[in-house]
Amino acid sequence: MTLSTNVEDAADETELEELGQKSARKHYWLVRAVSIVTVLLLWEVAGRQVSPLFMSYPSAIAAAAVQLAASGELGEAFLSSMQTLTLGFVLASIAGVLLGLLIGRYRYVDAASDWLVNALYSTPLVAITPLVILWFGLGFSAKLFIVFILAIFPVLINTASGVRNVSSQLIDVGNAFAASEREIFVKVILPASLPYMMTGIRLGIGRAIIGMVVAEFFTAITGLGAMIIKYGNQFDTAAMFVPIICLMLMGVVYTAIAIRFERWVAPWRYTEDE
Amino acid sequence: MTAMEVARPEPLAGGAAAQTPRLTVTNVSKAFRVRHGVNQPSSLLQVLKNVSFEAYQNEIVSLIGESGCGKTTLLRIIQGLIRHDAGQLAVEGRAVRGPGRDRGFVFQQPSLLPWRTARENVEFGLELLRMPAPERERRARDLLELVGLGHASEQFPHQLSGGMQQRVGLARALAIEPALLLMDEPFSALDAQTREVLQKELLRIQAETHKTIIFVTHDLDEALYLSDRIIVLGAKPGRVKEIIKVPFGSERPELPLLRGDPQFQELRARIWQLISNQTTH
Ligand SMILES: Nc1ncnc2c1ncn2[C@@H]1O[C@H](COP(=O)(O)OP(=O)(O)O)[C@@H](O)[C@H]1O
Ligand SMILES: [Mg+2]
Repeated sequence: MTLSTNVEDAADETELEELGQKSARKHYWLVRAVSIVTVLLLWEVAGRQVSPLFMSYPSAIAAAAVQLAASGELGEAFLSSMQTLTLGFVLASIAGVLLGLLIGRYRYVDAASDWLVNALYSTPLVAITPLVILWFGLGFSAKLFIVFILAIFPVLINTASGVRNVSSQLIDVGNAFAASEREIFVKVILPASLPYMMTGIRLGIGRAIIGMVVAEFFTAITGLGAMIIKYGNQFDTAAMFVPIICLMLMGVVYTAIAIRFERWVAPWRYTEDE
Repeated sequence: MTAMEVARPEPLAGGAAAQTPRLTVTNVSKAFRVRHGVNQPSSLLQVLKNVSFEAYQNEIVSLIGESGCGKTTLLRIIQGLIRHDAGQLAVEGRAVRGPGRDRGFVFQQPSLLPWRTARENVEFGLELLRMPAPERERRARDLLELVGLGHASEQFPHQLSGGMQQRVGLARALAIEPALLLMDEPFSALDAQTREVLQKELLRIQAETHKTIIFVTHDLDEALYLSDRIIVLGAKPGRVKEIIKVPFGSERPELPLLRGDPQFQELRARIWQLISNQTTH
């Protein structure tokens, strides 16, 4: 039948396209690798010209990393930071999604809270860190609170706008099939806003890491942030770079996972890019 | 009876008087409140005025008229998505009070839920009917088979062509076994070839399911090829200009052949005149 041949044609085409894309992607990776090696080499050469007080270079940082890892200091700081980050971030995501759903769905909740949400989102909330430490002391809960308060807003705002922006065509489908308001919320609005939630969560990660580091700067007892302060005060620049690079890797890995997850949740949004 | 015969809603031959219409639309009017600018006062735009017609079992009735004459509005009123200002509507004798599962709707845009596979999309209405999952799945598979998509039941909408998506939309509407199938220019966004395939398929599916179909279109050939009767709507305000009985039986030749039929050409010219010449009544 005409239909089945059409389908096969379509399948062939996408396969061809994918082959082309794959070889192109290989080239991109090659270019990327060359670029990374070049930058590291330049850094190494330039870094050696400067006093080790002001700047370090890759081989010195690597040596410091090995030493810090062997002593167990790096591992301990890393675990402590991860604990704060993960717990604060998970709590912020859950609370952000729930509040975002409420705000997106009920106009009155939105009207009652939008000024506050906007004000808090626009404030650089790290500025209240000293106050938070006054409230919670120098321990775990202060750090947790700062991570939470920074990460919650992107999740909340994106979730709410996801709920509000569900296409009216899809809502119409629910209405045409005589779905109740509740059924429309559960079967249409919720799944349609899931990709927005994931975007909010991805954006929240960056802010959560900032919150964690700043909180650790202030408390300066445990974690990667505390390590940066410690080696900074000792003018050991190479050792100071080790936790910084750890933080960078944490951000990169988390964001990559979040992007993967976004695509897994809503594959239909990512059919034409790259 | 000549091909040109124009009649008020004509009951089907025989004991039609005894048969309740699947759909009765009586003097339905609708105006929208529109605002022309931010600080302008709002005014009423009369979109439909005293629209009346009926549709009987096993009948395909087309609503045809120029763009903006109120076809979508009328269909959405029948579905219960929009409230009418005046007049009555009844499906199988029961007054329409809002959306209901005695009517199935196929949208101009496929409007599939992108996170659901073809099969899960077809199951949407069945879930709302609280049908148990195994039965739901069986019914959905049968319907996808009926619309020629048995092989694609686990594909997501973004993996399907426009024509295939519209087939899923049709299966989704048919799944709840509605008394009435409402289709709003369902093939207008497709390329000409796919459109002809789907028109033919619709006739086959209608022959298998005996559905009553209200089919909105602005394509004369499509209306003539598919319909038993054509309701020609005039614009500003939308109203029934004429109701035309299409003389080709249920075993009609395919559209390219039908186009050669002098009766077809005559009717086509007549409807074209009705639609384009707004001043004569
Ligand atoms: N919700 C609405 N509010 C105001 N005007 C509307 C609304 N829906 C449709 N209209 C107007 O009603 C007229 C008929 O629209 P529609 O039923 O979509 O026409 P058609 O489907 O025949 O092209 C158009 O002029 C359109 O602008
Ligand atoms: Mg329309």
